[in-house]
Amino acid sequence: MNFKKITQINLFFIFIIILLGFIGVVALYSAGKGNFSPWATKHAIRFFIFFFLMILIALINIKYIYKYTYIFFVFCLLLLLSVEIIGILGKGAERWILFFGVSIQPSEIIKVAIVITLAKFYHNLRIDKIGYIRNLFFPSVVILIPFILVLLQPDLGTALSIMILGILIMFISGVRIWKFIFGILISIGLIPFLWSYIKPYQQKRILSFLNPELDPLGQGYQLIQSKIALGSGGFLGKGFLGGTQSYLEYLPEKQTDFIFTLIGEEFGFIGTIFILILFGLLILICFYISIKSIHIFGRILSLGIACNLFLYVIFNMSMVIGLLPVIGIPLPLLSYGGTAMLSIMISFGLLLNVDINYNQKKIDF
Amino acid sequence: MFYSEQKKQFQILNRRTFFLFIGKLSIFSVIGWKLFDIQIKNSKKYQTLSINNQINIEILYPVRGEILDRNNNILASNIKVFDLYIIPENTNNILKTLDNLDKVIKLDFKQKREIIALSKKVKKFERIKIVENLDWTTLELIEVNKQHLTGLNLIQDFQRTYPQKHFFSHILGYVNQPSITDLKLPFILKMPTLDIGKTGLEKSFNEQLIGKAGKREIEVNASGRIIREISKEPSIRGKNIIVSIDQQLQRYTYQQLEKFQAGSIVVLDINAGHILSMVSIPTYDSNLIIKKPNFDYWDSLLNNSLSPLTNRTIQGLYAPGSTFKMIVAIAALKYNIIKPAFSIFCEGKIDFGDRTYHCWKKNGHGKMNVETAIKESCDVYFYELSKKVGIDRIAEVAKDFGLGQKYQINLENQKAGIIPTKKWKKETFNENWYAGETLNAGIGQGYILTNPLQLAVMTARIASGGKIIKPSIIHNTVAKEFSLMKKYISSIKLIQKALFKVVNEIKGTANKSKSHEFSFSGKTGTSQVKRISLIERESEDFRKKEIKWKDRDHALFVGYMPSKNPKYAISVVIEHGGSGASVAAPIAKNVFNFLHEHEI
Repeated sequence: MNFKKITQINLFFIFIIILLGFIGVVALYSAGKGNFSPWATKHAIRFFIFFFLMILIALINIKYIYKYTYIFFVFCLLLLLSVEIIGILGKGAERWILFFGVSIQPSEIIKVAIVITLAKFYHNLRIDKIGYIRNLFFPSVVILIPFILVLLQPDLGTALSIMILGILIMFISGVRIWKFIFGILISIGLIPFLWSYIKPYQQKRILSFLNPELDPLGQGYQLIQSKIALGSGGFLGKGFLGGTQSYLEYLPEKQTDFIFTLIGEEFGFIGTIFILILFGLLILICFYISIKSIHIFGRILSLGIACNLFLYVIFNMSMVIGLLPVIGIPLPLLSYGGTAMLSIMISFGLLLNVDINYNQKKIDF
Repeated sequence: MFYSEQKKQFQILNRRTFFLFIGKLSIFSVIGWKLFDIQIKNSKKYQTLSINNQINIEILYPVRGEILDRNNNILASNIKVFDLYIIPENTNNILKTLDNLDKVIKLDFKQKREIIALSKKVKKFERIKIVENLDWTTLELIEVNKQHLTGLNLIQDFQRTYPQKHFFSHILGYVNQPSITDLKLPFILKMPTLDIGKTGLEKSFNEQLIGKAGKREIEVNASGRIIREISKEPSIRGKNIIVSIDQQLQRYTYQQLEKFQAGSIVVLDINAGHILSMVSIPTYDSNLIIKKPNFDYWDSLLNNSLSPLTNRTIQGLYAPGSTFKMIVAIAALKYNIIKPAFSIFCEGKIDFGDRTYHCWKKNGHGKMNVETAIKESCDVYFYELSKKVGIDRIAEVAKDFGLGQKYQINLENQKAGIIPTKKWKKETFNENWYAGETLNAGIGQGYILTNPLQLAVMTARIASGGKIIKPSIIHNTVAKEFSLMKKYISSIKLIQKALFKVVNEIKGTANKSKSHEFSFSGKTGTSQVKRISLIERESEDFRKKEIKWKDRDHALFVGYMPSKNPKYAISVVIEHGGSGASVAAPIAKNVFNFLHEHEI
């Protein structure tokens, strides 16, 4: 622990995170029809706890982080696997595991593990060896095992974001473009197989996404109501606690996946663009830290974290504005839900750690 | 070497970082643009959708106006009825509530099962109808057992009722659910389940009677539960309609007809033109048409060969018979074709063309002038008269006295009847008029068809000395001035004298009905339904013989009372009743007696 380095923490980043956390509490207060229960208070408490966790991670000696990366990954993988096994033994799909009395969704945590694992892997891999096909094996395993496990849950949205996240990190690290093109072609070939594999309710979701107005009371209902809420918010919004769509329960899942819609209804275009800009700034800071970092581990880790955040944000927003099917991805720091926040805060902790240790020449013992 | 490799690696990293940055920026821009599209460009559209989402408009139905008689007796009104609903959410146990309810009102097993099935389908807070129109005893039973019947809900509704039952059905008509074409009417817009008038005054005055719908704006949530009331605009009760009919008289005239199979009476107030009574039998009871299920009742009405739904006073067409003779006489006098003293010797028949035209009195009346010819209803006199006057002049006078036309009395489907002319025959049958047909017309037979209301109007116009009286069924206290047909004044005076003699002098056809309490005038008529064959005529007593009901003559009487300064005019038609003198005239006398005693 380098408590002395606490002064070096990026205050602008901290400020934005606190601001987003606060907006999250406000939005959940509104989602609770002007009550702190059931969501706002819990959200605030979680934020408070995870915030300190983030600071702690930021102050850990980066050498330890680098050293225990693979162990962390294996640990996360075991968690994911245990969920899978419990799911098989129990009935129906299970995504949660009780961990010290807190229910945890390992599929969220594993994303950070993948980012950090790949960052370490590429840190060690000399650039002249990246081209070797055998060096595609390790990253593929790191990405595909969690991907398949999450897909089996089945959680299509998270599985896809794991896949894309992994591919993006590989891209950053310098894997040749043609390999991606090749990979994409294979994936397209696999689509019919994948289609027959996914559950009927997921098929329905994708179909209703393609034309939601066809079935306004079924699968497309959520999307239409979300658009109505956003659109009726207009430029300035209906005002705090004035969102009729959410208040009258037309808006489904308003405290989790559709919290952005609620903000859009009550605070209008100003509100949504403001949120978009805040997330944009966070990602920009990630880029800044990445470029600043003199070691490859830090560079890839920062960008990986940026990609992870970016995927959360665009998947969630695209979902509520109808650019993507409803795939159940939360909006970091705003949506109610512990694990996504835990995962994102761990990643921010790592990012701040890189920021503090950007000019450390030697990061392994 | 190592340094340069690392440099190369950083170069690649930098390049890839840049691409990533561009990629993310463009995706953020797409999201920003889409937000702009939804929240700014299409905001209006979504705002409308949002309001539609929250606000439901509930139409508050107005209470239908009442219909009253001239003395404010209620003819059509509304009674409160209660419909029984169950709200599954409010019950402790829906099965138990239904079982308890079963002890109060019989619910069959199927009905119970349907309610339970429905309760599982609809939202928990939605009402499910169990019974419509509860009667008072069940209502009381439900009230008493309230604590065992949780979740039951009584909703008040109004149902049309006709306290006078069948006495006014033809005038009032009845209400029913609107048809698809009815729904296009502007005044029932948005009230698809509102009962509206289907016939009679209920139909003609729909617009006034219905009133104005109110509305309630309520905010509902996604599952349809009412959150709050936003605004309420109460409905406006429909206007009351007061008709000119006298309820007591109507009941009395109905009783007069009751013993016959079919017929009608119209009583007019001569001064105001008001219809005081208008009865047609057989009739129906509007209450039974409204009461569902009514299939059996409808069947019985539609299968009745006497068509009870027909209002004979305006829809029944009859040859006026001898009641038409006044018209012929007035035409002859008006055109100076005859002097009042003009007389003819009746031998019981005349030959014209290749036919023989008989008088109803086989042996003839002897010497007849206008007055005596009307008094004794001599056919031969009027054969001669009509021959001289000609059909077109007769028709002109008939129309002046109100025959062959429809009146604005707010009742639909009036039949105008036929007043034939030469032109009419050419146009209708493309045939020339035969002179012999004029003779038939002279005694009110042949092509001529009139309805009982027209006959009453004709009588009223004669009684008033030639005023163009127009009947009305709406009671307005403002006195109406009818203009006078001056050209007929002198001829009408002579006719009035004759009509007085019909009732009040010996040998007058209605002399048997003479009253000692009051004086009235009138004219009998016997309208031939079947042509009398020569053989029948040869037999001495063909008129007294039992003939099939359908072939019997219609009995008619038109008249007014008092003979001086007449106030009331009447027309009585008894279908297949026999002779006007023996059947119709006594009824008129009774009605006049009633009017004399009650002074309406």
